[in-house]
Amino acid sequence: MRYKISFILIFCTVLFAAGSLSAHHSPSAVFDMEKKFTVAGTLTQVDWINPHIVVFMDAKKDDGSAETWKFESNPPSWFRRVGIARNDLSKAIGQNVTVEGARAKNGSLYGYLLKITFVDGNSLELLFNPGK
Amino acid sequence: MRHRIVFVATAALMLAGLATADEKAGVAANKVPRTADGHPDLSGTWAYAIDLPPVVLKEQVNGSVSIKTIDQSWREPAKAPIPGALPSTPAPSYKPEFQEKVKHLFDNESKLDPVFYCGKPGVPRIGSPRRIIQLPGEIVFFYEDISGDPYRIIPTDARAHRADANPSYYGDSVGHWEGDKLVVDITNFLKDGWFGEGGYFHTDAMHVIERLWRDGENLVWQATVDDPKVLTAPWTMSPRVVKPSSDPLEESPPCIEDDGHRLLNSDHHQQR
Repeated sequence: MRYKISFILIFCTVLFAAGSLSAHHSPSAVFDMEKKFTVAGTLTQVDWINPHIVVFMDAKKDDGSAETWKFESNPPSWFRRVGIARNDLSKAIGQNVTVEGARAKNGSLYGYLLKITFVDGNSLELLFNPGK
Repeated sequence: MRHRIVFVATAALMLAGLATADEKAGVAANKVPRTADGHPDLSGTWAYAIDLPPVVLKEQVNGSVSIKTIDQSWREPAKAPIPGALPSTPAPSYKPEFQEKVKHLFDNESKLDPVFYCGKPGVPRIGSPRRIIQLPGEIVFFYEDISGDPYRIIPTDARAHRADANPSYYGDSVGHWEGDKLVVDITNFLKDGWFGEGGYFHTDAMHVIERLWRDGENLVWQATVDDPKVLTAPWTMSPRVVKPSSDPLEESPPCIEDDGHRLLNSDHHQQR
């Protein structure tokens, strides 16, 4: 019991010691982070906005009809600090890209972008648990 | 005799060690830059104060792979005592009649916290300034924040709080020097903000004191929050040691929240 209280105290210390956190929901509140999927199509729009960047792409369904996918990803402040600017994605607008993501739990055409591969084979990938 | 020699040698080594430590401390103290009026110079660009997702970028360009990480280890609570810091506690102490409300707010934070929906974090939640410009008689704090990029112009010429200021999220600030510490007194807050992510609501009686000082090349920031209407005692947060930064301030992109209506549970960010 004493250890449990100590753990909680330490946890709370780590939790609240910081003055400013990037306050938002967890991706798991919206997306099934274990359910990865891949979509290929044309990148149409890149919105460099808080609290998450958003990209849109048009993909073709099996029957040939088009559908528009929306993906959010990490905050723009995170991308900036790993050296990625909006132009690193928006330069591919109008080109084919492949996006790997985690799909929204509500089943809509919405996902969390985990990897984007450009037509030249270059790619950007977010590793959530790189040590595991 | 042999013991005496060992003792003398040990004492000499300890004294030498102490002298070295004193010299080092003296050197560190001398390294703190000062303005013409003799106060420590807090001016400069300081590290981004908001937690970023603990995510690594794997970038592949023309067949070569690079891994990019962000070092935010300085944001962890300091392992060693920070010179000049006040004693701190992990969480504020609310009066018994408000504890249930705090728990409810925290349990439903992703739906109820205004900051989740692009709201202004206010003081002290916004944390340490990203840039400071120190002038005779006033000091200016600049921030980069998801909700926008506020600034605060803080007089340090012994004037009183403004009597005609409207309440705001960043309040009305006046500063003064206590030795080598800048002490900023902030009042006149709007009452619908949170001063921390644990459901820490406050009233219009909130009173915040920020303390800023130099620790060598670093900036130290520590805040104390009081709200006699809801807290049993003032709460002093743990100090934050902020590194100097070469990363220039940049206008924050607009904040457009689009997940609130999609939330299926109350999970918070993974780092919390």
